[in-house]
Amino acid sequence: MHGEYKMPGGKLVVVDLDVHAGQLCRVQVSGDFFLEPDRALRDINAALEGLYASSDEAALAFAIQGALAADVLMYGISPEAIAVAVRRALHEGAQA
Amino acid sequence: MSRSDWNQHDWLLIHDDPQPPALHMALDQVLTDEVAAGRRAPTLRVWEWASPAVVIGRFQSLRNEVDLDAAHRHGIEVVRRISGGGAMFIEPGNTITYSIYAPLSLVEGLSFQESYALMDAWVIDALAILGIEAWYQPLNDIASAGGKIAGAAQIRHAGAVLHHVTMAYDIDAAKMLEVLRIGREKLSDKGTASAAKRVDPLRSQTGLPREAVIGSMIETFDRLHGLCHDALKPEELARARELAANKFHKHEWTAEVP
Repeated sequence: MHGEYKMPGGKLVVVDLDVHAGQLCRVQVSGDFFLEPDRALRDINAALEGLYASSDEAALAFAIQGALAADVLMYGISPEAIAVAVRRALHEGAQA
Repeated sequence: MSRSDWNQHDWLLIHDDPQPPALHMALDQVLTDEVAAGRRAPTLRVWEWASPAVVIGRFQSLRNEVDLDAAHRHGIEVVRRISGGGAMFIEPGNTITYSIYAPLSLVEGLSFQESYALMDAWVIDALAILGIEAWYQPLNDIASAGGKIAGAAQIRHAGAVLHHVTMAYDIDAAKMLEVLRIGREKLSDKGTASAAKRVDPLRSQTGLPREAVIGSMIETFDRLHGLCHDALKPEELARARELAANKFHKHEWTAEVP
């Protein structure tokens, strides 16, 4: 499943994922955003892995925020924007 | 640490012969490290491309961004850079690319947006001298009334900041669209329907040869901040060649975000 979201004035966030037994798996966040340090991307993917596919945007964003180390800097992307892209991926997948 | 001014640094210029894409990626990493370690003075490096390339951003998905069959068909190498941002389609005579390697003190205390504006200011002046009214367009573009001219990406690493910019001198938009996958969502708040229309290259805007545009840009940097000619040190080049072979040429790096 694939979802994209460009937050207004921000960069593109892309999410590719599968759902297995109602939980997110093989989550891959990507896009033309800026994120430092770069290992934070792995933390974000890991934070989403295993979450229930029924999670709403707020719950997804909360999980992402909680996984970010204090020194992480985001430019053109936010936990909320990633959450929207995840919901879009799930929504598209549900329609397919 | 307090913020430093451009003129507190002795700027060096590296403008070498054409080099292959993976070596350019490696040189950015090596020279940023060298400036961070204090072994190299702040440097402006103007790139010359030995061959065509697609350069994808640190966090972009290889398969989502690039049509690998089309790239292969056109003999275009795909490389991943160390900074975030979007994919660039490079043909040797069509782009003007440069990197600025500066101590972190130059952007100390600035937000990302402020530090992009600061690092792009000299090139806005350089474009004005060439008759182009351009401006920094957040988050990371340089734009004119005709459209986007350039894209920048920045990374702060250890004690240094790398700010690199690719400007469109000319563009084969049809080939670009064959090789890059540019989705509709990306264009959603740009107000234009076609990716080709988003770029307004320097060639049509200045009527000048590429070399003359680069020469004028270097003159402007020199006038504003001072600039002395320099070259890569043998050990810098050796380290970059090693990194190009062991990291930037490797599929594991290029496909790190598959």
